[in-house]
Amino acid sequence: MNPCSHEWFMCHIRHGYLVVEGCFECGGRLSFFSEEPVPPVDEYRQGRHFWNYMGSSQTVKFDLQCRRCGTTVSLEDVNGIMFSECHDRDCQVGALVTQQGPGSLVYVALCPDSTHAAGPCVSKEGIEALTQYFNQDLGALGRKVIVVPCKLCNSIDRCRGTVIADVGLTDIQ
Amino acid sequence: MKISELAEKTGLKAINDYADREVEGVYISDMVSDIITSAKRNSVLVTLQTHKSLVAAANLVAAAMIVVVKGRQPSDDVVELATRTGIALFVSDLDTWAFARKLTQLGFE
Repeated sequence: MNPCSHEWFMCHIRHGYLVVEGCFECGGRLSFFSEEPVPPVDEYRQGRHFWNYMGSSQTVKFDLQCRRCGTTVSLEDVNGIMFSECHDRDCQVGALVTQQGPGSLVYVALCPDSTHAAGPCVSKEGIEALTQYFNQDLGALGRKVIVVPCKLCNSIDRCRGTVIADVGLTDIQ
Repeated sequence: MKISELAEKTGLKAINDYADREVEGVYISDMVSDIITSAKRNSVLVTLQTHKSLVAAANLVAAAMIVVVKGRQPSDDVVELATRTGIALFVSDLDTWAFARKLTQLGFE
């Protein structure tokens, strides 16, 4: 166990697109990060899935590094962060949201595969580092952020939340 | 400078209840992906955006206040979230550049 009281900062910051695809066969959602100037919109088969482009928004990916010990935590498995307003008490995230007092908000770290069929969700190290990073400045204000992996969500595709991504920019007039 | 002093000197209209605190810097952006990586704590965020994701991002960077320029009015759920997070929310009739000039005249760089 690392005894360091980490002081995290963002590193390896990459700007690009969060591309979301949906499978007509199973209803699953897949997302990936693209640094291409124009996000890809191809349809393709993958096993029993038939993935179709559903949309994209500008977003950012980053890793976290500790100023004190130099430890770097890869957040390659985080495709987005969603502010949750779920109130489904049968959902672990929803139950957590309803337990929070004023100034305490729950954010869900989104992994690439909402079905979690292809592999694990966001790593435990990533969740811990994100939680510590976002709370570094909030603690003094009496506020708190709780970051949880999306595998705790009953259905990320139907969850009530706001993904921190640049949607609606073209609506600005 | 305190939020209340900045608001008074720049002619801002408060649209939620807030706890007064020090403002230490300025960040101007309409992109939440930019704000989350570049805005500093206790900043005033100046933006055209009124989407809820703006407040969700501002909370993560411990912003002190948000100023929505050009008279845009955030919806009730955005105001409610700003209040829950303790972020002061204001509207200015000025455009981004005109409001930024006011901030520089107050000594913000």
